[in-house]
Amino acid sequence: MLAVRNLTKEYNDVVAVKNLSFTVNEGKIFGLLGPNGAGKTTTIRTLLNIIKPTSGEISFNDRRISRDFFNIIGYLPEDRGLYKKSRVDEVILYFAALKNMNRSKSQKQLDYWLERLGIVHYKTKKIEELSKGNQQKVQFIISVIHNPKLLILDEPFSGFDPINQQIIRETILSFISEGKLIVLSTHHMDFAEKMCSEILLMNKGQEVCSGSLSQLKKNFGGNMVEIGFEGNSNLIKELKYVKGIDDYNNYAEVQLEDSIEPYVFLRDIADKIRVNHFRIIEPTLNKIFIDMIKQSA
Amino acid sequence: MKKVFEISKWEFLEKVKTRAFILSLIITPALVIMVSIGGTFLSTSEQESTKAIGIIDSSMVYFYPLSQTLESYKLDNGQPAYVVFNLNQPMEEYNNAILSADKEVYKNKISGYILLRRYGNDSLNIEYRSSNSGNFKDVQRIENAVEEVRLKMQLQKLGINPDLLNTYFSRISINQITIKEGGQIQQSDFLTEFLSAIVFIMLLLMMIIYSGQMLVRSLVEEKSNKLIEILISSCTPEQLLAGKILGLSALGLFQMFIWACIGIGLAGSSMIPASAFNNIFIMLVYFILGFLFYTALFVGIGSIVTTEQEAQQITSYLSLVLVLPIAISASAIFNPDSLLVEILSFIPLTIPAIMLLKINVVNVPTAEILSTIIIMVASIYITIFAASKIFRIGILSYGKRPGIKELISWIKEK
Repeated sequence: MLAVRNLTKEYNDVVAVKNLSFTVNEGKIFGLLGPNGAGKTTTIRTLLNIIKPTSGEISFNDRRISRDFFNIIGYLPEDRGLYKKSRVDEVILYFAALKNMNRSKSQKQLDYWLERLGIVHYKTKKIEELSKGNQQKVQFIISVIHNPKLLILDEPFSGFDPINQQIIRETILSFISEGKLIVLSTHHMDFAEKMCSEILLMNKGQEVCSGSLSQLKKNFGGNMVEIGFEGNSNLIKELKYVKGIDDYNNYAEVQLEDSIEPYVFLRDIADKIRVNHFRIIEPTLNKIFIDMIKQSA
Repeated sequence: MKKVFEISKWEFLEKVKTRAFILSLIITPALVIMVSIGGTFLSTSEQESTKAIGIIDSSMVYFYPLSQTLESYKLDNGQPAYVVFNLNQPMEEYNNAILSADKEVYKNKISGYILLRRYGNDSLNIEYRSSNSGNFKDVQRIENAVEEVRLKMQLQKLGINPDLLNTYFSRISINQITIKEGGQIQQSDFLTEFLSAIVFIMLLLMMIIYSGQMLVRSLVEEKSNKLIEILISSCTPEQLLAGKILGLSALGLFQMFIWACIGIGLAGSSMIPASAFNNIFIMLVYFILGFLFYTALFVGIGSIVTTEQEAQQITSYLSLVLVLPIAISASAIFNPDSLLVEILSFIPLTIPAIMLLKINVVNVPTAEILSTIIIMVASIYITIFAASKIFRIGILSYGKRPGIKELISWIKEK
């Protein structure tokens, strides 16, 4: 279990992270979400033991994070880049060696991963000869080749085409069954929504909300309906119990006051416009993200 | 320790394979050889052939003794340095004589001529007219010769035996002997000593500038593509720093080894005089100290810059400081005990270069050698300490370059 307690990091007079706490359990993907500049990178750096927190504590399996943890942590940074003039296999083996893997084992793992991600024929090519997507795969291999117990992935899907995104997603999901702990930081809310079992949304260095996805949705206030229609959407807005509307012209997501039953809304509006379809929806993570960040700002 | 080794191995192997490095292996010694051969060539070539010079002497009394004196100068190979022609013409044709003599010079038939004009009883006006004015040796010899002839003539008037004068004027040449500790005596050749010092300093400079730039560039690359974050999530910044310095030093040693092989090869074929290797051990010590010191400086600086341009700017400042000793090398050679040299031989930035220079020219006291080495070791320790502190924070900060105040707070941070 990874436990972060009251983590605070200050630079000179700027507070980058303030009083952040969360736990991640084995075999779970933890989503660390937030807008740019929210303090995610600083949080990740303290997890990696790259920077020391000003106060607070990070422990892994009840031991404080220290240098001893270097070899069991894997990290995929958001900005990618490698030694362009070097060979694929040499770069991967170098980073494997830095994780204290012995040569024969890392050779075997290298071949396994190149094969698994479909880039085995690039093994002895220079990095600069690879396409951007394939370079990303090399970087992904670097973060997982030493079979880390704790894996920190910062925007793992950016730069991949849909096919490769699927390969990476499946690979990450396979780690769950291996009991790894995964911290996932991303702006792709749909991925986070589908993959993470727990989420922490942060802004300006502080927690905005956290918990399991279902819990978040419940807390966020679920009285939402989606409606496909023909007619004037202003007629929807005029209803006094409509709290908010995301209007797409022929389609709208409508938030109702908590006390109103959705069918009341359907009955009222069906008199005024032609309703093509109607569905009760839960808020998407995307919506929660946008609304919560707006609220906290 | 294993990680430090892995990092240094990587740094070494990655850089040794680059085209720039392989080129530097060949180009640097080629440059150095050109300089040293060029120097030897320049200092010896001017004496190689006998020169024809003329004399126009309106007084008529100087020509004979002056030409004799001039023709008595010998070249190293035993040949006379000058053949003297009388370009005098009858008195009334004096101006014509000058015109035709000028023509001879112009046509390169003679190297130049001496124009002697006497005013009154004892006042002489002498010109040496030649196609170039740069030949100090000729002018000096002519001055000496005229001086000698004039003195002889005046003494003769007083009735002093000219033979005595000959003894007095018999040329004395001074052999320079440098006395080494332990009573060793050795004929010193100023030129080779100067050159070997310069060669060593140039090698040091090139190596430092080259590897320093390489280090800074690779740091900037690792910073800009965030590789540095993967690196320091695998090892400590101190390990990374140590690995980089070690790898680079190994690269430097390898480079030196190759150059030494070339040097020894050339010494064998006597293109570089063997005496250039006299102080090799102590020179090596300064060389390595200087290399380490500057490498640590480059690391500290390299970790605070974010862009290639900044890196270039800042490495060129450092390179300027490095070149300073070359700029003052002339004064250091001719006046190794001057105050400036004395001061610079105790400043860590210039100790290596100045001492490399001095050690070849004067007998540096052991106390001075020891104290400068202690200063160097201490400053290397301090620089590495400060550099690693700056490195630790610098590699993770992007954008605005930190000011001095900020840097100091980084160094103080625990």
